[in-house]
Amino acid sequence: MTDMMNPAPAGQTILGIETSCDETAASVVVDGRTILSSVVSSQVDLHARFGGVVPEIASRAHTDLITPVIAQSLVEAGREGRELTAVAATYGPGLVGSLLVGVSAAKALALTWGVPFIGVNHLEGHLYAGLLEEPDLEFPLVVLLVSGGHTMLVEMQGHGEYRLLGQTVDDAAGEAFDKVARYLDLGYPGGPVIDRLATQGDPTSIDFPRPMINDGYEFSFSGLKTAVINHVRKNPDVSAEDVAASFQAAVVDVLLAKTVRAAEEVGATAICLAGGVAANSELRERTLDISMTSGIRAFVPSRSMCTDNAAMIATAAWWRLQSDGPSAMDLGAHPNLKLPWLESA
Amino acid sequence: MLILGVESATAQVGCAVGGHEGVLASTHSARGKRHAESLAPQIEFTLSQARVDISEISVVAVDVGPGLFTGLRVGISTAMATAFGLGVPMIGVSSLDLVAFPLRHTRRLIAATIDARRGEVFTAFYRQVPGGLQRVTEPHVVTPDDLYGELQAASTETIVVGDGALRYREKFSSITKVEVADESLAYPSANSLVALAHARALREDFVQPAQIQPLYLRRPDAEVNWQTRPER
Ligand SMILES: [Zn+2]
Repeated sequence: MTDMMNPAPAGQTILGIETSCDETAASVVVDGRTILSSVVSSQVDLHARFGGVVPEIASRAHTDLITPVIAQSLVEAGREGRELTAVAATYGPGLVGSLLVGVSAAKALALTWGVPFIGVNHLEGHLYAGLLEEPDLEFPLVVLLVSGGHTMLVEMQGHGEYRLLGQTVDDAAGEAFDKVARYLDLGYPGGPVIDRLATQGDPTSIDFPRPMINDGYEFSFSGLKTAVINHVRKNPDVSAEDVAASFQAAVVDVLLAKTVRAAEEVGATAICLAGGVAANSELRERTLDISMTSGIRAFVPSRSMCTDNAAMIATAAWWRLQSDGPSAMDLGAHPNLKLPWLESA
Repeated sequence: MLILGVESATAQVGCAVGGHEGVLASTHSARGKRHAESLAPQIEFTLSQARVDISEISVVAVDVGPGLFTGLRVGISTAMATAFGLGVPMIGVSSLDLVAFPLRHTRRLIAATIDARRGEVFTAFYRQVPGGLQRVTEPHVVTPDDLYGELQAASTETIVVGDGALRYREKFSSITKVEVADESLAYPSANSLVALAHARALREDFVQPAQIQPLYLRRPDAEVNWQTRPER
């Protein structure tokens, strides 16, 4: 945490690198709040026909893309490598082969330019995406982090101080979107296509279950996915638009009911979305509605800041640099890396 | 001209720095920490032992495989980023060339091998020519039985080298006229990489970092399975 008596020197410029899944990204951010560049090269087309991310294909693509993506991020930022304060990379959680490409490149650049290397937890990056765009958000802040790999409700009590309120006991929210889309033969990835179809459908047409909506902060989407599949099996002529809209409404109901309840219980003044599923239109609109209907401030980061990007990594790295200093040069990839949780109260 | 060589295509990870005077310093380790953990500290250590500042490096050479995919990519990502960061060109050398290189003074046929796991080896054959070695077959992936057949068919004095040869030592050394080189030559060495790259650097045989292409010799399993799906 920044020491008030000894503030961080102004103008710390960090190159962030993100390669944990299927996006190769690099970004230059000043002081964890001013984005000079944010380059994201998506491999989604390479994986689409397989219906999911293929680790070996992802690792190969990262190796091909990493140098051009970093080069472009520096050109767009108008910075030379030697002007940087540090180089950061995601070291987990994620696909080990993909993570290693970014970590190896970041360490080599740090060595080359004689600047510190910072390893960043990908989830911490997501948590900081909101604060990057809206530095006025106050703690305690409740963050709903929803993506293809994660669904968790986090209370940020301060910088680097996180309490896990609850997470999914089975599928991640994004995984449920992908599986439903695959069952309906809508293609991959499922999130954007269901989002698009849902705008044409009636969200009240099918009454799908809202699993565990009133108890605790754990999530479960496996039963909802099964309910969707059973409904379509029994009603083969049902409109895909209505299924998409009703399924999406059920997911959003559960996510937001728990988020609002969490904010009330921990006394948070604000909630914030994070992660790829936070690019979903219904979730974004309904989150913004909360600001109108309750005393809680709701912040929805821009879509490009919700999906995987390196600006959030450079931002989290800046905060980590203030609190912990640089990482060791023998840091490897940690595919199952967890957030450093505070003990539950 | 100073060359930094980075090599991590097999169970071994190593780096070396050198130039006109030969290799100034090098480190290699074949067990212990994994490639991604050890490589950057090895580079720092090797440069400091050679009393070379990284800014003095004018070429980065890298083993482009074939080899174990993950280790290979650690080396390539590290080397590409180093060259990009320094603004210097690169030289990519095959792991099979590196394994054959220490045997360049033999008149025998050289069969370089790298253990490809899953019951296969990567291999290419080499022959002495004036000034060095010439590769006489393209790098390819074979079963030990197929390589056994190739060695028998060659029917000439042959030395088989590399960790692929060691894994199937008994099989290959049972062939008349065939000898298997020992453990000390089993892995591609960063010293050989610097030596081979130096010769190419004199000819300015360079590529830019983004042009370095790993030599996988195998497609990802998912692609292979996709194309052999019965319904296609
Ligand atoms: Zn993510």
